[in-house]
Amino acid sequence: MCLSSVFLKTVRDYRIPILGWGIGMGLVVVSPMASVATLLTTPEARAQLASLAATFAWNADPVAVTTIGGYATFKIGIFIFLIIVWPILAGSRTLRGEEERGSLDVLLSVPRPRLRVALEKLAGMWTALLAMGLLIGLVAFGGGQMFGADFGLGDALLFGLDLALICAVFGGLSLLISQFTQERGPAAGATAGLLLVFIVLDMVHRVAPGSEWISRLSPIYYYNLSKALVPSYGVNGGGMLLLLVLAVGLAGAAVWLFVRRDVGGTVPLPRWLRLPERPASRALPVGDWSLRSVYARSLRMVAMPTFWWTLGIAGFAGWMVSAVQLLEAKMSSLLSGSGAAATVIKNLGGGDAGLTAGFLSAMFVFLPLFLMAFAVTQVNHWSADEQDGRLELVLTTPQPRLSVLLGRFAALASATIAISVVTLLVCAWVAVASGLHLDSGNLAAAILGMIPLGLLVAAFGYLASGWLRTAADTGLLSFLLAAWFFISFIGPELKLPDATLRLSPFYYYGTPLLHGLQFTSVLGVIAVAAVALGLGAFRFMRKDIGV
Amino acid sequence: MAAMIDVQGLSKSYGSKLGITDVSFQVEEGDVFGFLGPNGAGKTTTIRLLMALLHADRGTARIAGLDCWEKSVEIKRLIGYMPGEPALDPNLTGGQILEYFAHLRGGVDQAYLKQLTERFELDTSRKFRQYSTGNKRKVVLIQAFMHRPRLLILDEPTSGLDPLNQQEFDRMVLEARNEGRTVFLSSHVLSEVEKTCTTVGIIRDGSLVRIGDVAEVKAIKRYEVTITFANAVPAETFKTVDGVIEVETLNHGHGVRLTMQGPADAVIKAAAHYPVVSLTSYEPSLEDIFLRYYEADGPRATEAHHVP
Repeated sequence: MCLSSVFLKTVRDYRIPILGWGIGMGLVVVSPMASVATLLTTPEARAQLASLAATFAWNADPVAVTTIGGYATFKIGIFIFLIIVWPILAGSRTLRGEEERGSLDVLLSVPRPRLRVALEKLAGMWTALLAMGLLIGLVAFGGGQMFGADFGLGDALLFGLDLALICAVFGGLSLLISQFTQERGPAAGATAGLLLVFIVLDMVHRVAPGSEWISRLSPIYYYNLSKALVPSYGVNGGGMLLLLVLAVGLAGAAVWLFVRRDVGGTVPLPRWLRLPERPASRALPVGDWSLRSVYARSLRMVAMPTFWWTLGIAGFAGWMVSAVQLLEAKMSSLLSGSGAAATVIKNLGGGDAGLTAGFLSAMFVFLPLFLMAFAVTQVNHWSADEQDGRLELVLTTPQPRLSVLLGRFAALASATIAISVVTLLVCAWVAVASGLHLDSGNLAAAILGMIPLGLLVAAFGYLASGWLRTAADTGLLSFLLAAWFFISFIGPELKLPDATLRLSPFYYYGTPLLHGLQFTSVLGVIAVAAVALGLGAFRFMRKDIGV
Repeated sequence: MAAMIDVQGLSKSYGSKLGITDVSFQVEEGDVFGFLGPNGAGKTTTIRLLMALLHADRGTARIAGLDCWEKSVEIKRLIGYMPGEPALDPNLTGGQILEYFAHLRGGVDQAYLKQLTERFELDTSRKFRQYSTGNKRKVVLIQAFMHRPRLLILDEPTSGLDPLNQQEFDRMVLEARNEGRTVFLSSHVLSEVEKTCTTVGIIRDGSLVRIGDVAEVKAIKRYEVTITFANAVPAETFKTVDGVIEVETLNHGHGVRLTMQGPADAVIKAAAHYPVVSLTSYEPSLEDIFLRYYEADGPRATEAHHVP
């Protein structure tokens, strides 16, 4: 039944991402609801929260932030790029990815018009986005009910629809760009770059009055016009309609180009835009350092992702260090007016020490989360390499299986260390430049302490890949990450038992910016990671490859 | 002389799916062994067991006297391997792939490697993903030969190569044989094995059904000749002709389809007595040969037929 048409097959292929991304992103929406519920205990606390949100207005419109729905909408502003990652990848894979694999040749050899095949695939992607939007809406509604929000099911579903529409816009853009690239990677990369540009364009009007016309150039602006989780604000039908038109227009243009170009080729670019053709050569790259061992090759493979993740993580950490002093006054009032708020900050990684360090510590809990997400992506590559047979030839050379696995893991470990060290250097430099006094030992502990957490996720992933296929392995790790985050940062509000809280690695990370690292906890995490890696290695050494 | 490859009672299944059952054979050092069988017969499973990519359920596989699983690293120093479906990092160029595997094998003679790329006229500057199927095969073929291994294990090596490169491959196998190296190659093309191999094993449905000298295996090779005549010709004319095994009348006697074995000279002479409109010869696939030769109650059995 699921294989009776291109459309159904496409939807079937997306079933795991629909569930994983839908529920995962739904939990991301619910997370701030849990924290704000405890922040709003007194009128003073509400006023201070509104004032604090206004400080971050450049990031998202602070509309009704003292309501659960308003605060969640405000906080989602910073995560919009995260939510749009999947449609960007899906858009680039929909046609170009299949062309790369060669599977589109076979599909287009059946007596079915190329236009229909493309439209069915596009419809499959849109259906997946709608299903994700539906799941996000349902999870948001459930979270809202749990924490006493004032928005209803219809509002939550409209919120999910708005998200699905902005995702469809970027999925369409990615699909369009992939008509001009030979490979899907550059298409996804270029679309992600445009996403960042659009996010910045959207921010412009919030920091520079009178510049709204600039922000109108960004689809993100029209997405932000609707705030369905704030019933008093509602949705902007015009904005949503425009997003729909954009999504249809971009995807339509992509399909129009696809049916007119060579399969496996690209839309011809003007001569001046084409890369010069390389002459044929029989030269061999004898001196290339990255080809000397499995470790060196793995390091080269992980280099580019490491660069981008370092940019993101170090940038986020540096920005938090630079911004924290500006927020100190407002935070001081907020915390003094609300005991519950102090509890939330403590849950997030703060405590009763200096306010600046406390707030910074609360923000720094996102760093290990990001590093763990990076580890998930790299485990995905390892698992995919095995599943797709790319390890087979390597394993037929006189390299022990253990060396191959450890070479890859060591490269990943090197990358996590590099990200952490650069982040530490950036934070230390920003702190000095902005005159912020931070305990250098604790700062080092907070940033370098996330390395074991990254390695733990990687080790779990390597272990699970001994049995699971790539999609299941990545899905399991993503679920674990979301569950751990939920347990550590919402669990205390739900009065989860201590034994449950201890299941999350964040528990052992603690509040290192304030209290330094608990070395026994860190050693415990390292020990668990080592055991998982050891079991994973044992399994890998004995398993059938490519089965 | 000790066997280079010694397989005894090797079995492997994938859950409920058949892999291979109780396969036993030996390949002497310096031999060129053709491993024949239709698709899905168990050729690749056997090869992957030899390469320690799979773990056998039962039986043993030894190369140069070493257990393939227990001593896999030592064994791989002796082997050049070409998989049936090469999958490599699509972002590496052909040159990078060859250099990478050269390092993983502990270094190779760069002059010889360059010579191989020139023999196959391989453009090493292109990314693997940009190569045609044939060029991908060339990259993997070169990496199998580049360290002059004692044993070459090649899984359907000429699949996807054009005739010129197939000839080059035949020459390389011949050179390897002349240098005393051992070659184990799988194929489902009988004529390819005939050209290059000295010994042949035939596998079907996971069991080795025949093993022996290539000349003996040729005995099972049959082909079909279809002759169309201007007038009706009695089928009996061909039934007693040398080499004819079976005669089928076509088009109300205006044509015959002959199943033959051996030279066609007698048939051509017999047909020449009648006005011939057309004559076509067709070499059946190995699958067809197996279907006919190894019928359910035919010689297929649990033990291979060893031809002296």
